[in-house]
Amino acid sequence: MSSSLNPLEIRSMKLLPWEYGIRNLLRRPTRSALTLLGLTTVVLLVLVVAGFLRGLERSLAVSGAPQTVIVFSLGMGENLEYSSVPMRTSDLVAASIDGVRSQFGNRFVSPELYQGTQVRQSEDGDASMGLIRGLTPGALLVHSQIEIINGDWPEPDEVLVGRLAATKLGIPLPELQPGNTLWFEGRNWTISGTFSSNGSVFESELWCRLDDLQQAMKRQDLSLVALTLSPQANFEDVDLFCKERLDLELQAIRQTEYFATLQKDYQPVRMLAWLVVGLIAAAGVFAGLNTMYGAVSGRVRELAALQTIGFSRRAIVVSVLQEGMILAVTAALLASTISHVVVNGAAVRFTMGAFELRIDSDALLIGYATALALGVLGSLPPALRVMRLPVVDGLKAL
Amino acid sequence: MKTVSSIAALLLSLFIAAGCSSESPTESTTETPANTSGIDGAQFLLDAEPDGSSGVIAVREAATDGDDIVITGRIGGSVNPWIKGRAAFSIVDPSLRACTDIPGDECETPWDYCCETDKLAAATALVKFVDDSGKPLAADSRDLLSVKELQTVVVQGKAQRDEAGNLTILASRLFVRPDAQPAE
Repeated sequence: MSSSLNPLEIRSMKLLPWEYGIRNLLRRPTRSALTLLGLTTVVLLVLVVAGFLRGLERSLAVSGAPQTVIVFSLGMGENLEYSSVPMRTSDLVAASIDGVRSQFGNRFVSPELYQGTQVRQSEDGDASMGLIRGLTPGALLVHSQIEIINGDWPEPDEVLVGRLAATKLGIPLPELQPGNTLWFEGRNWTISGTFSSNGSVFESELWCRLDDLQQAMKRQDLSLVALTLSPQANFEDVDLFCKERLDLELQAIRQTEYFATLQKDYQPVRMLAWLVVGLIAAAGVFAGLNTMYGAVSGRVRELAALQTIGFSRRAIVVSVLQEGMILAVTAALLASTISHVVVNGAAVRFTMGAFELRIDSDALLIGYATALALGVLGSLPPALRVMRLPVVDGLKAL
Repeated sequence: MKTVSSIAALLLSLFIAAGCSSESPTESTTETPANTSGIDGAQFLLDAEPDGSSGVIAVREAATDGDDIVITGRIGGSVNPWIKGRAAFSIVDPSLRACTDIPGDECETPWDYCCETDKLAAATALVKFVDDSGKPLAADSRDLLSVKELQTVVVQGKAQRDEAGNLTILASRLFVRPDAQPAE
């Protein structure tokens, strides 16, 4: 088969050596370094935005448990802060609904008072908005991801702080160590310990005893009752209870569904973030185009000479693409390394609390895909443009 | 340069198109599930409207626990008046106005009676079709009875009252009143 091809045809399929592209990059080290810096910055920014999105999504996704149900005020949408249900709801729910999980006589029911309020380090300190949840020890049964990582469950006038509460409050982490105090709802609260919750939104909250918070806020009601159903039980039984007990004006929602609704509410933010990713990537493409145009237009004679000695236009285009891709992939490697060290795990504040940026496999995939797109889109137009020049004109070019 | 401009325009239009895409407006927050229960809903449906029915408000005022009642109401009372997978739903007294009864109102869930919330608690009842043990039938009413939000239904059954005054109808039969024709 190969014997039927003449030497010219064989040569026309031959690609330029890989080293040719690398050497070309090193011939203009300053320009290549600047391009690499620009591309790295672009990919890093893309990774930061992707990490933000992945962190937000994960924070909400891990916050709900499938067998946990939230019972709260009818007509409150997903605004649990504004919900108010009678204190007796907790006992009524536990007594009326079959299938509430129970262990050693303890029902998995958690009456909770949840409020956004101003928190200070001292009475005359600067205020920031914090999220406070008043609970009973039953909360540890319902919110099974909770782990007290240091200190103890709060006693009267004490508060247990979430791992990301410092970020939410804008207070340095060392200031929230056990033994320190916070001031909210008109009194001082001693920090009893710190808890984590597998990255869920609870980690940005401050937890104290339900009766304490009710006294401090002069309230006798609850915001919600969270309960865990046994594996055989159905959410519909809770829904039926709420619709039968019209006097209590209750509604029920699965915890997973509640956080899925919040995900939906943040859709515009996510879309905006993706738009930012797109704009940053577009800027990166222009930076790449600029560099590659410069790199290629300075080598018009050289590229024409390559054609003269028999390399096909396709081979030269592939070589220019290789140069762009080498820069882009190197930029992606640098950006992912920097993001893993600097960005991954960094806590950011948002309306629902705080969450950690996550440079996970999805974020990396987005970063590398962007880098490859930058490499191709930045190199292809200049390569094609120079290849449209007639060889003779190319050889005469200055 | 023309190529660069074309690429830029293409990229920008792609990103903007992605950013501006929006979901179509929700017509109903509740979807009709398939009937996999094997229960024949026809046995509960009446061909003719039973006599002597009263509205939800009147029944709530007069009925005592265990009374045989015939009650009229419109399906609704909240964004989701159904109990998913159960033969149970909420009805509201026909005297209350749903958002569709108010000209110009564009509420996406008119069956939640959001314009009448102050009267809703005293004008709502729960209808349940139950089995021999008193548990709601494990079939979604939308599929079992072919009913939907804001339909007017007449229900025969027994009143179940609690100490708080709530009314639940343990239903035996149901008549779906044909939709009223719009006034000429």
